[in-house]
Amino acid sequence: MEEEAPQLSVTRVFDAPRDLVYRAFTDPDQLGSWWGPIGHSLPRDEIEFDVRPGGYQRWTEVYAGEPGGRVYGRIDLSDVVDGQLLAGVLSVTGRLPGGFEPFETRLRIEFHDEPGGRTRLEIRQWLPPGLAAPSDAGWSEAFSKLDRVLAAARAAATDHRPTKD
Amino acid sequence: MAGTDQLSAVFAALADPTRRTILAQLAEREATVTELTAPLPISMPAVSRHLKVLERAALISRTRSGKWRGSRLEGAPLREAADWIEHYRRFWDTSLTRLDAHLAALQAAEKEL
Repeated sequence: MEEEAPQLSVTRVFDAPRDLVYRAFTDPDQLGSWWGPIGHSLPRDEIEFDVRPGGYQRWTEVYAGEPGGRVYGRIDLSDVVDGQLLAGVLSVTGRLPGGFEPFETRLRIEFHDEPGGRTRLEIRQWLPPGLAAPSDAGWSEAFSKLDRVLAAARAAATDHRPTKD
Repeated sequence: MAGTDQLSAVFAALADPTRRTILAQLAEREATVTELTAPLPISMPAVSRHLKVLERAALISRTRSGKWRGSRLEGAPLREAADWIEHYRRFWDTSLTRLDAHLAALQAAEKEL
């Protein structure tokens, strides 16, 4: 299958066995302990997981600083390999912080063994098809962001192990 | 309105370190192929090929005055790309840092049992 390169990739190694890391993503009792920024909570009774190919993961995010700000997250899982892979489409709806529009994005999360009982997590995310916003460019704003884009791109490049690039 | 294809082209264009160097140069000011090639260890035709990729992604536009043909940075697609990258990189960075702490706490609790 021809696969478009992901627009965002994040790699991180955890000092924990692979199953433990996988469970942190797939156990509804654990997601709320770490998902999203601090000051942001996930009501346990609104977390519902059915982790299997064709299943889903569903949750609500509540922002402390924004009363009434509720964000509904859902991953429709297309591929699941127990302990190794979660892939599907993440959709986020509701009142998003930062003025972002609701969106859908393809997401792939891989769990790999690393020496010493550690785990390498690889997250790939593709562009939301509906993202594009009209913009008649403030040049100066674009310039101020260029540095950050370049820094992010450089960080992405160093994230990658040499064999991958 | 920029579509997914264009934004994909933006990300593909940004993925290459030489093209990022060229963009950084163009952020300073408009430049010709000769000027852009000077600090790089590659040939002028190679730089021209990179400029074509950047132009297709609408990250730069080509200008012409007489014989002088310059390239200049275009802001709009870059800004959309920047917003998206920033938002998600920050989201994952924060979450995975919290996840690291969560996993450490879990393992510490297991050891105590």
